[in-house]
Amino acid sequence: MMKGVLTYMHRDFIRWFRYRVGVVSVLVLPAAWLLFVGLALPVQFTGNYLDFITPGILVMTILTAGISSGSLLMFDKLLGFLNKFLAMPVPRESILVSKILFISVRGIIQITIILVLAVLIGATILNPLQYGIIYLILFLFGVFIAAFSTTVAIYLNDHDSFAAFSAMVTMPLFFTSSALMPYDVMPGWLSTIAHVNPLSFAIDAIRDVAAGNLPLLPIVVIVVLSLFVFGICRHVFRKLTV
Amino acid sequence: MASIETVGLTKNYGGLCAVDGLNIEIKDEIFGLLGPNGSGKTTTVLMLTTLISQTRGSASVCGYDTIKQPDKVRSCLSYVPQDMAIDTNLTGRENMMVFARLYGIENPKDKVDELLGIMELSDRADDLAKTYSGGMRRRLELAEALVHEPDVIFLDEPTLGLDVGARKKIWRHIYSLNRKGMTIFVTTHYMDEAEQFCDRVGIIDHGKIAALGTPSELKSQLMSDVITVSIDGEFFPVSPDGLNGILYVGNSGDEYSFTAENGREALPLIADALKSSGNRVRSMAMREPSLDDVFLQSVGKQEEEQGFEELKYRLMLRRR
Ligand SMILES: Nc1ncnc2c1ncn2[C@@H]1O[C@H](COP(=O)(O)OP(=O)(O)OP(=O)(O)O)[C@@H](O)[C@H]1O
Ligand SMILES: [Mg+2]
Repeated sequence: MMKGVLTYMHRDFIRWFRYRVGVVSVLVLPAAWLLFVGLALPVQFTGNYLDFITPGILVMTILTAGISSGSLLMFDKLLGFLNKFLAMPVPRESILVSKILFISVRGIIQITIILVLAVLIGATILNPLQYGIIYLILFLFGVFIAAFSTTVAIYLNDHDSFAAFSAMVTMPLFFTSSALMPYDVMPGWLSTIAHVNPLSFAIDAIRDVAAGNLPLLPIVVIVVLSLFVFGICRHVFRKLTV
Repeated sequence: MASIETVGLTKNYGGLCAVDGLNIEIKDEIFGLLGPNGSGKTTTVLMLTTLISQTRGSASVCGYDTIKQPDKVRSCLSYVPQDMAIDTNLTGRENMMVFARLYGIENPKDKVDELLGIMELSDRADDLAKTYSGGMRRRLELAEALVHEPDVIFLDEPTLGLDVGARKKIWRHIYSLNRKGMTIFVTTHYMDEAEQFCDRVGIIDHGKIAALGTPSELKSQLMSDVITVSIDGEFFPVSPDGLNGILYVGNSGDEYSFTAENGREALPLIADALKSSGNRVRSMAMREPSLDDVFLQSVGKQEEEQGFEELKYRLMLRRR
């Protein structure tokens, strides 16, 4: 199982590195976001807006990364790789696990870049333990999103509908979350949505960590959520591939 | 023990019956499944390789049931799909390594080197696969399929879209694999290939086996000569009177085929019959039966049925 997962991940990493534009877009895009929203946007809700916005950018980065997990599976499916892999004696779940892990690990690379950049342009430096917990939250959240998008990709049969799905999910989720502004300056309706938005959940937990607390409950909830969605994903995968 | 065995294997897609009660038994041989587009070849292969489950019936590969012991089945087979699937952004060697690792081969590097050599890809092994020709891609896929030394290989249209030289090369490899003891299950719609290289063929049409046997057995069901007639313009059906001992095989485009025990004597009879019902005969030719004729006879060209009294002739054919 582990061997299969590692081999599949290795393959996805080579493919990613070969595809230069992919590397650039994955690494530059979040940085651009941080610079644009964090520095250029002339808003002042809180003392250090950069410190406020960074968790939001981090979670958004993991969100876009996670959503593309389904896209990877979709390509393997459309190009016929999936059928080849499924006809092998390797445990079939290792395909799913590898996609989700690859995406989460790649997300972590992006996260690191954003964190470094944020500090360079003036964000507060946290202690190593805080960074550790932030990484943990983001990784778990990445698994959650990746498992979700992979489940959708198993159901959908062409790349266009998957692209539509990811566009439909990403931006609205981001703008209705607590990423850009605190709850108390939001209009009432937005605040209601933001409170139930899973993105806010991860963002708030990270802000909590940065404030020096240990948000145990949110972490447990995210663990349960990712396990739950992964379970569904595996079930759907097993059912649809015999 | 049969390498592949199916009993009443059936697959329905909604109301459509893609494979209908397939019963075949394949030993250590090159078995060719032939059929027109949409006849159920790929569906059959997918069921045998555990990629889809059947609606009814059962299948076993290497003695293992495809539904009850899918893992056992998967570890003794290799599958090369109809649409080429190789990572074009990886080199040939990297493509191979993925498979060698997935199958958990002892010395993946050596195995990969060896297979690249066998498939005549050694000198291009470190180029990206996107620079490979169609024939090389196919050979790379074949090499991937051989990594774990399977007992049975499923090749879905392995020569589709290749030129004559590349097709020959692929078949030479297939042939030598079989001589080394592998069972080969191959689908194709190139009759000449099947005739030349397959030990046995099954012709499938609308999900049903229409003919099954060695190429020479199937050809012997036809009479010793085949007469083909090219007709200009519209085709007018002929009546079977006066054509005793001559059977209609089928048509492909404007070429109509007949079979007779003595072709030389049948030629003028056929010409007269066609002319008297108003056809303009452009040319006639006579040759020995080929698998093409068997195919034409058992599958026909449904979409171009022309009111030829086909049924009558078919009935006559059964006599034999
Ligand atoms: N997933 C599917 N859903 C619905 N119908 C399908 C599906 N797959 C195949 N079919 C139908 O089943 C029939 C057999 O298809 P199959 O792909 O097995 O044909 P084939 O003999 O491989 O044809 P070709 O020579 O074109 O590859 C066709 O009518 C096809 O439309
Ligand atoms: Mg097919």
